[in-house]
Amino acid sequence: MSTANTDTASKAAAFSTTATVLLVDDEPVSRLSMVARLKRMGLRVLEASNGKEGLAILRRERPDLTILDWVMPEMDGPTVCEQVRQDPDIHSSQLILMTSHDQPEQIAEGLARGADDFLSKSASKQEILARVQSGLRAASLVRNIESTRDQLRIKQAELEGELQSAASYVRSLLPAAGPVAPGIHMSWTYRPSLALGGDLFNCSSWDEHSITFYILDASGHGVSPALRAASLSTFLRADNLRHYMDDSDPARMMAEANRQYPLTEDGSYFTLWIGSFDRRTGQLRYTTAGHGGALIHRQNETVEWLTHSQLPLGFESDTQYKSSAIQVTDGDRVILMSDGIYEAPASTGELWGTTRLEATLMAHRSAPLGEALPALMAEAERWNGSSVFPDDAALLGLEFRL
Amino acid sequence: MQIKERPIPNAVILDLNGDLTYAHRDAFKSAVETLRQKGCRHVILNMADVRFVDSSGLGLLALVSQNFKLNQGKVSMLSPQSYVREILGLANIPKLIPVFDNEQDAVNGKAQAA
Repeated sequence: MSTANTDTASKAAAFSTTATVLLVDDEPVSRLSMVARLKRMGLRVLEASNGKEGLAILRRERPDLTILDWVMPEMDGPTVCEQVRQDPDIHSSQLILMTSHDQPEQIAEGLARGADDFLSKSASKQEILARVQSGLRAASLVRNIESTRDQLRIKQAELEGELQSAASYVRSLLPAAGPVAPGIHMSWTYRPSLALGGDLFNCSSWDEHSITFYILDASGHGVSPALRAASLSTFLRADNLRHYMDDSDPARMMAEANRQYPLTEDGSYFTLWIGSFDRRTGQLRYTTAGHGGALIHRQNETVEWLTHSQLPLGFESDTQYKSSAIQVTDGDRVILMSDGIYEAPASTGELWGTTRLEATLMAHRSAPLGEALPALMAEAERWNGSSVFPDDAALLGLEFRL
Repeated sequence: MQIKERPIPNAVILDLNGDLTYAHRDAFKSAVETLRQKGCRHVILNMADVRFVDSSGLGLLALVSQNFKLNQGKVSMLSPQSYVREILGLANIPKLIPVFDNEQDAVNGKAQAA
């Protein structure tokens, strides 16, 4: 910064874009003299003759720098400083207090009440120039920070918009609730942990006799697992799987998915449960790759978990997945869920657990599926103490009327 | 998570302390990868002081096991706590990474612990 000591040099140091200074002083003579000096520096100058008027102009005009006399009628300089600091719209304004005698106690009080700097009424031209330049430099830094912050907010809003749009695409992959085949009714409820979920499920007809359904869980959180989940979900569509196999054997589907979706470089993978139900035989065949959340809730109220210990997808390229078969009878419900449901932690860290989950299912056995699933979710949320699970939480239910 | 490296004849033991979870993936991955790049052929993960393994932790275990196999190396696990043992079992991890209850058995690759 220039250490100019003549008026000519002062003008040479003029500010690139004309900066605005507000001068608040009740003494006309000293105000006129200061206004003239500031104008000679190439500044645009606004004037006010008391603190109250000064504050009003400051709010309206947002000057780059405000110079305030200490003693004024209506509102004195330190009070203006305090008011400015309390108002979020103008709190970052640069303020210089002017006094006729600069005693250390007074300077300390002025700074404590919100002034950025001090200027003695007897200051030399050079000192005035230096303090004004310093104040304008600070003002320009503050404006830069504020404009960067505003740009970040806009970018952030754009990114959130993108995420919302991706999330609505992911939701569009979920099935429509209702009848999936004669005598089979589907219902579901879903709570992603962030805007984007890595848990997906679906249920569709394989052919006129059978339906297939699955739930998948991509490990990790955020955009990348959600993209991978959407990809696997597309892979698992019946029209795609028919390129690989001609029957709806879940173990073959699983083996194919395992070949297509190896572990990623950072160790991300899927757990997946696939079921295939044939209406002619009433038989449900199922297999699981590390996914524990599947059960059948019998009409007679017993609950059987439909899981076995098998590797998640991608852990080993040539895993042979075995499938199991059970007989489904009239009134039975098959429920697939994210592990986030029974692993929902309470504030103490204790997990909700399968025992409490089963008890809740029993309690809602007579309610329609479309009410029982949300009730189950609500109970897990109550345990968790929040409507946002640490993991995604999905529940898919099928009721069989055979 | 704290990780201490402890060389023994024919293997290196990593004493893990903390949770093997998403938050600690980088520390775990780099500790194991460093050993692999140094040419270590058998790493034994001492799980005695690991309280929890989440889904990301399971993925990391599978990943390091795959990476060691590529170099004709192997990964073993030592003494997981009962809850961790249950999580590992549900994902069938002991099929990829054998579990042992003492260092000598782990080094020899003998009779898998129940």
